[in-house]
Amino acid sequence: MIARRIWRSHRFLRPFSSSSVCAPPLLAPYHSQSFASPKSRPFLVPCLSLMKWCEGGGGSRSWFSNEAMSIDSDAGGGFIDVPLAQTGEGIAECELLKWFVKEGDPVEEFQPLCEVQSDKATIEITSRFKGKVALISHAPGDIIKVGETLVKLAVEDSHDALLVSSDTPGNVEPICSQPKLDTLVGALSTPAVRTLAKDLGIDINLVTGSGKDGRVLKEDVLQFSGQKQNVTDSAPSDNPFIRGDSVSTSFEDQIVPLRGFNRAMVKTMTMATKVPHFHFVEEINCDALVKLKHFFKEHNTDSTVKHTFLPTLIKSLSMALTKYPYVNGCFNEESLEIILKGSHNIGVAMATEHGLVVPNIKNVQSLSLLEITREMSRLQHLATNNKLSPEDVTGGTITLSNIGAIGGKFGSPLLNLPEVAIIALGRIEKVPKFKEDGSVYPASTMMVRI
Amino acid sequence: MRVKRVGLPLVNVVKLRGTPILQQLLLEERLLRSSSANWCIVNDGTNRPNIVMGLSGKPCELVELEPVIRDRVPFIKRFTGGGTVIVDENTLFVSLICNRNDVPDVQPYPRSVMAWSGSLYSQVFNGIGDFQLRENDYVFGDRKFGGNAQSITRNRWIHHTSFLWDYSESNMAYLKLPSRVPQYRLERDHTDFVCKMKDYIERAVFIEKTIKAVGTQFMLKELSLDEIDDSCREHIETTRLLTLDELKETLAKTTRSESIAQAV
Repeated sequence: MIARRIWRSHRFLRPFSSSSVCAPPLLAPYHSQSFASPKSRPFLVPCLSLMKWCEGGGGSRSWFSNEAMSIDSDAGGGFIDVPLAQTGEGIAECELLKWFVKEGDPVEEFQPLCEVQSDKATIEITSRFKGKVALISHAPGDIIKVGETLVKLAVEDSHDALLVSSDTPGNVEPICSQPKLDTLVGALSTPAVRTLAKDLGIDINLVTGSGKDGRVLKEDVLQFSGQKQNVTDSAPSDNPFIRGDSVSTSFEDQIVPLRGFNRAMVKTMTMATKVPHFHFVEEINCDALVKLKHFFKEHNTDSTVKHTFLPTLIKSLSMALTKYPYVNGCFNEESLEIILKGSHNIGVAMATEHGLVVPNIKNVQSLSLLEITREMSRLQHLATNNKLSPEDVTGGTITLSNIGAIGGKFGSPLLNLPEVAIIALGRIEKVPKFKEDGSVYPASTMMVRI
Repeated sequence: MRVKRVGLPLVNVVKLRGTPILQQLLLEERLLRSSSANWCIVNDGTNRPNIVMGLSGKPCELVELEPVIRDRVPFIKRFTGGGTVIVDENTLFVSLICNRNDVPDVQPYPRSVMAWSGSLYSQVFNGIGDFQLRENDYVFGDRKFGGNAQSITRNRWIHHTSFLWDYSESNMAYLKLPSRVPQYRLERDHTDFVCKMKDYIERAVFIEKTIKAVGTQFMLKELSLDEIDDSCREHIETTRLLTLDELKETLAKTTRSESIAQAV
């Protein structure tokens, strides 16, 4: 059974605000408020017929390992997430019993990776790929849901090491001597250490790890940061949206190969720019929306739900789509046809540390505001933990991008092909307005670019 | 005249009687991991009461540690998953170790293997009681008489069963009520949930019929224990007997955490 997780990152936002940023794409995060405890839902993985796997006597393929390309297949290798495969109908989770490999070990195709237990059976999970163990996501004793990533493998055809000019002296030298695996998989470290590195504006991949298996520890980051102080820093490292790739220690050029999401995004955005774009900008009076949100907040009986503007905007969009179905369409270039999609599967752009993802809420036309709120929360939670399923990120019919969450007034979004429309929402601000008679009144407005 | 069955895969049948369960489990694990043949192992009762726990079980949650330690009941952790049982001379064991290619109709899934075994035992219990497969158990009606466990590796799997031909209440008292119970158990306590196979079938008849049922899908070849090649010992052995010290330590830890919990 194959669960394909294909990440589609199609959006490239160029903010129009005065604080311009340089080349690396700006991620448009949707971080209105963090939701307390999102409603948990069974993690559904599409089931394919098993007959595919057991090809009579000759089949030597292992049914119980899985592939999931975490990047666009055109990007040419990289990391592969090996999820826990469906081990039997109705089995939603297994306990991890033991690992047969550890991080850094090479694995052959069909080599056993670990043993799990579900109900009465212990099952060996074997690898479908030849590669190296990049990251082990669980420890023995953990309960793993079907579909969750067990282990990340670095597949051998991705040889894009972080190249640093050999003339570069000083602090970059130790990094050159690090084993290739480090650059292949990125630094191993705990989330806390990663946050520290991010706060200090340091690319954790450049830090030499002194922990087990080359793990980057807090001290390593602090030491690196101390070293960095002595060196010219040409990049604006205090900008939270720049990945720390641009730290240079001298005036030499640095080659940063694009991998993963960035690589995929370049391709898809280039494709999107081929499509003629029409932009329409409008300012919307949101007084009523603000009142509504306030009302929900006041009358909120469920403490796990946090009310924001977005669900209401999503629902309003759906209602508008009912009136203007062409906007919820899909354009087929070859046949020159527009498919007017029946369901309103509204995608919401979310920036995560893994990249920009656009999961969509299915059938918004049939959902209530509360259901939309809950579903948003669920998708956000999954996105942050890089656990979105293929179903979550495919099938979208229109996309909303909430640039307002990061403070821009309006952005210039690119289409999320094959959709025909995308809406960028600016921040809701209170501005003074003039009445007919010349008197001033406050109004909450939002810039919207379609 | 017996019709010679050609084209069926071979299975080595090993008939044991009163063999210690630890020895049986170690043998099974070795055969699963190091052999490439199919095996059917039948043990007509083990030598003395033993507690056998699944691979990921925690002793303190599954048994009453104090009486187990006091009475020196051997405590075995086996290599397959599943629950905890107390076995003795009135427990019958049947284990099937197969190459998945030799049973191509059976997908190497827990459920598929379970279903296949269910069809095998349906032949054994044809006309006897109301034999069924319920979740992971063999039942007559809604009462369990056989518990199953499996281990599935890349090319082979084992499905082994302990059958309650008879049991003693005092032995059952060593076991705690497990936190994970099959749904069909509902709220029933032990005596209402299980039943004794001896009320349905003779011991020898059961063993004979089981081997015969296996013979409908395989070509049988009987082997004695001595004839088994045990030279290959490179596999990882996970079945083991827990030491008394380990059990005492677990008990001590449990008592400590319980008293802390109470104090808090």
